[in-house]
Amino acid sequence: MSSLEATNRRNGLLFCLPWLIGLTVFLIFPLCAAFYYSLCDYSVLLPPVFIGFDNYVDLVKDPLFWKSLYNTAYYAAGSVLLGFVVSLTLALLLNSKVKGLGMYRTLFFLPSLMPVVAGSILWLWMYNGQSGIINTGLHHLGITGPAWLSDPAWAKPAIMLMAVWGAGNAMVIYLAGLQDVPTSLYEAALIDGAGFFQRLFNVTIPMISPVIYFNVVLSIIAGCQAFTQAFIMTGSSGAPERSTLFYVLNLYNVGFQDLRMGYASAMAWVLFIIILVLTFAATKLSKRWVTYDR
Amino acid sequence: MASPNPLTRTSPLVHLPLILLASLFAVPLVWLLLTSLQPREQVGKIPPEWLPRQNFVTVSGKTIAVTPPTLLGSDRLLVVPDSGPEAGERLLVEPTDYVDGQVKVRTPIADRIEEARYPAKVVQNVPGRFVIVKEWFLSKYTQREARVFYVDPNTIQNKVSPVIGNYPEAIRALTASEKDKTLPLSELLKKSSFPWTKKGDRTKTITFLTYLSNTLLVALLSVIGTLCSSSLVAYGLSRIQWKGRSTLFNITLATMMVPFPVLMVPLYGVFRSLGWIGTLMPLWVPMFFGGAFNIFLLRQFFLTIPSELSDAARIDGCSEFGIFWRVILPLARPALSVVALFTFLNAWNEFLGPLIFLTEPETFTMALGLQQYHSQFGGSEWHLLMAASALLVLPIIVLFFFAQKTFIQGISTTGMGGR
Amino acid sequence: MTGRYTGAWRAPPAARALLGALALAFGLLSCSPSESKQAPRRITYWEKWTGFEGEAMDAVIDDFNAKEVAHAKQDLNYAPIEVEKVTISNVEQKLLIAIAGGSPPDLAGNYSFYVAAYADGGALTDLGPMLSKAGFDRSAYIDHYMKLGEYRGKTWALPIAPASVALLTNKRLFREAGLDPEKPPVTIEELDAYAAKLTKWEVTLPSGEKKVESGYLPDVPASQKRLIQAGFLPGEPGWWSYGWGYFFGGSLVAGQDQITAADPRNIQAFNWVASYSKNLGIGVTKRFRSGFGNFASPQNAFLSGKVAMVLQGVWMHNFIEKYAPGLQWGAAAFPYPAGHPELANTTSADADVLVIPKDSAHPQEAFEFIKYVTSQPVLEKLCLGQQKFTPLKNVSDEFFQVHPNPYIRLFRELGMSKNAFSIPQTGIWNEYDRELGNAVDLIQNLTETPNVALSDVQTKMQTALDRSQRILARRNAK
Repeated sequence: MSSLEATNRRNGLLFCLPWLIGLTVFLIFPLCAAFYYSLCDYSVLLPPVFIGFDNYVDLVKDPLFWKSLYNTAYYAAGSVLLGFVVSLTLALLLNSKVKGLGMYRTLFFLPSLMPVVAGSILWLWMYNGQSGIINTGLHHLGITGPAWLSDPAWAKPAIMLMAVWGAGNAMVIYLAGLQDVPTSLYEAALIDGAGFFQRLFNVTIPMISPVIYFNVVLSIIAGCQAFTQAFIMTGSSGAPERSTLFYVLNLYNVGFQDLRMGYASAMAWVLFIIILVLTFAATKLSKRWVTYDR
Repeated sequence: MASPNPLTRTSPLVHLPLILLASLFAVPLVWLLLTSLQPREQVGKIPPEWLPRQNFVTVSGKTIAVTPPTLLGSDRLLVVPDSGPEAGERLLVEPTDYVDGQVKVRTPIADRIEEARYPAKVVQNVPGRFVIVKEWFLSKYTQREARVFYVDPNTIQNKVSPVIGNYPEAIRALTASEKDKTLPLSELLKKSSFPWTKKGDRTKTITFLTYLSNTLLVALLSVIGTLCSSSLVAYGLSRIQWKGRSTLFNITLATMMVPFPVLMVPLYGVFRSLGWIGTLMPLWVPMFFGGAFNIFLLRQFFLTIPSELSDAARIDGCSEFGIFWRVILPLARPALSVVALFTFLNAWNEFLGPLIFLTEPETFTMALGLQQYHSQFGGSEWHLLMAASALLVLPIIVLFFFAQKTFIQGISTTGMGGR
Repeated sequence: MTGRYTGAWRAPPAARALLGALALAFGLLSCSPSESKQAPRRITYWEKWTGFEGEAMDAVIDDFNAKEVAHAKQDLNYAPIEVEKVTISNVEQKLLIAIAGGSPPDLAGNYSFYVAAYADGGALTDLGPMLSKAGFDRSAYIDHYMKLGEYRGKTWALPIAPASVALLTNKRLFREAGLDPEKPPVTIEELDAYAAKLTKWEVTLPSGEKKVESGYLPDVPASQKRLIQAGFLPGEPGWWSYGWGYFFGGSLVAGQDQITAADPRNIQAFNWVASYSKNLGIGVTKRFRSGFGNFASPQNAFLSGKVAMVLQGVWMHNFIEKYAPGLQWGAAAFPYPAGHPELANTTSADADVLVIPKDSAHPQEAFEFIKYVTSQPVLEKLCLGQQKFTPLKNVSDEFFQVHPNPYIRLFRELGMSKNAFSIPQTGIWNEYDRELGNAVDLIQNLTETPNVALSDVQTKMQTALDRSQRILARRNAK
């Protein structure tokens, strides 16, 4: 018995060896190193100089840090919410045994496969003030479109809109979730005389809540990492008026343009903690309303 | 109404919002494709046009694509001087500049203009209602001078005609060496430097194929690495009972919350001390050590395989690795293909990693090469940018149509927490 | 000294004779001219320019490599240096990442304004020892440009292609507006008056009829007028927006440790910038600007005649030739505020520089190439190709004769003017630049007054500079 245990332990460790190495070298060590660097002046080229918590103190006083945090929170919240509404709506529409489901699904899904670099260049072109297709389209509807990416008030919504275009991914997930909801529940609801919205909020959403929870957490984490869209569409300074200076963009500037790796590491740790707290909060919240039994 | 009510029959009305939304979703892709086929004069027109159109004139039986016409406005003479700096050239002059068989030629020298008269012959009387058009060249790297025609505006035909040539031109534009851009495309591509080309080889140059091969190399190595490592680890975490397994699994789950940006500064330090900055290694080597999400996904799948199968194999004398290799892996093919597909996609689309770890164009991936091109020539040449973007997107779309089922199933399962 | 060209390098005649004799001796010893026995010493050079500037550098590199091969044929024991050029976009970012990552090129071209930041970060090799050993004559350079490579008492970079900026005017539009094209504005006030006259709108009359009017038309509502031509836009192209203060006598730093962003003259300058946004309207300017094409295209605002006057650099001539041949243009020193003739001939004068990164694998070979490039004939070839002037005090007559830019002397004189300014040498320029860029955004959008925006920059950047000084002090203490 104990020999079997020993063999299993050896085998288990052997099978997990690549991951144990990867975990240490590419995750735990960097994470610890980042914490150490965050307590130092570190330009990579010169050895780190220990300065205690100065970087964190500077961070709290740095208006750019707060600005980028605000921008990221705004973007993450907006894109998660919009993405959720759009993808769930699409999934609900498609879940009605509609003809040509495959074709619609493909159409909605394809944009989500678009590489971010290509997508950003494409949307930059579409948002163009004069010859862009979006404002021309709005013009035909009698609306004078905003200057989008060159207007501080519209730049973030513009990038959000682009994110919504990629909502096909979540749609496919919700669709799969919806198709798992047993029809007996709807039958029961119908007998009780539940209307459309009652069925939606009392049957459908509770039934797919685990899926929603999982995807919302993942998309919050993704939203916090927004970088490429802004880097390509509005440049690394986060123009106009820093309205698209996202947290990771700021981190990149500080770390890889100013070579203030210590400060960047402090920023990285703060981001890490924010994500931890958000995930923890989401999990706590989910306990209250996510239904796992069926 | 549609859902959430799968019991009632589908109302045909549901197609209305669906068609509307589907066309909204399709607009960007259609726009990408159509503008990538427009001639450069058409791109940036106000208001924008959808279908690619070009002007054509017929000259001595041949139909030639030409640039947009400009009106002459007043009667002119087309003359050819016999001598002087412009001897043999066709000049369009004011009738008043041509007196007694001599033409007045103005030559700008620095900021003043010199005038002189030279004998010349009249070739054509051009009425003022005529227009000037130039031969339309696909490539701005063409050496030859464009021919100029003075024609009746009514003879110009405006036809819908896609400029397929934008694609080779975009490939040309992505080439690093200025000198080589004038070469024929096949020769240009033959000079491509590849990841296995000797560094600093002056006969080679960085072309589209360089970026493509770098991307494919990284993507394929990442797929191989992920498949090997993640399946091993997932096996160790699901099908062997050992102390510490659940701890390791929980840690694995937790690491899914550590995004790359948190790690990029210290990882840069790690790769620096390994001497990997400026090489493709940071992009694929870590894949050989597993990734949390893929491990999680495969573990969930492995758990669904009945343990009787392994037990039977064990009784037959199979080693643990033998069970993994001969029993579990063949059964896990659907899950493995999902993992492979997503790893490939991620590698193909990845931008921040290449941006930080790659320094020389020789090692750039497609995404980075496209961004560099955009940062140099952005704001103009949208037709070429769109063609270049299409080159980055098309392989993914083709892949999608070949593996549609894996895509949809894969996303459904991953998104539902691997259930 | 032989020849007309002296450049910045003194080769002692004795050494030259010795070298010649040696070469001759080897030539005699080796009867048949065979290939060098030594493998070439390859060095990588990172270049930032594509297009014609890149081609000019290509030609110089080809010459150098050919010269080295020829040398190796003479002297079989000499291993020729072979320079390989790699073009890198955003070189100022990529270079730093590569140096920090431990895989730098042997030699790189950079912008002069990154020298300080790179030097503070420990990313460059001090050229001083190599320069003094090689008999470098600092005084051969125009002082202003030479200083761009010097920081904290060391020489980190040598300038190769300098630039200066001037007011370029479209003479046709001047004539159309009833102005004398040969008399560009001399004072800022004149510039403003000219700009108003050169501004044209398409006005929609109540009858629906359209007609072109000039001036700012403050009484016509924005919905009834469409801007079709601007006299002057401070934001076009906006590459020197950080420096408007200098044209009014302001500055961005004082000494090594003081930020002067909120200097009253800077505020005055940006009030002037804001006046254009006020006159034209922010929405109008934005919409008008979004219709401009890429800089290097016929749709460029100045080349297409949409803007009549721009602040632009010496290289613009090449773009005019390429994208708007036949454009009648003029160049003059940028105007100064009335009553301040001491501010005449103010210009932004920065340069392209060559640097040897820290941990360069072949610093000696890289330096040989720097030495070659910075000799007068080679610099003249390079700068002619890049359509700039050279950073040297001596200029050959041919250079001006064959130079295609009719205003090259003007640009050179501006570069030598006492009012030539360059981006301040400070290690925090990256941040300062981003901060100023944001302030310019806010000012041009009339979101903030110049006073508020610049005071904000002042506070933030003084903090940043103090921090950076603190870090340097700590490092030096170690």
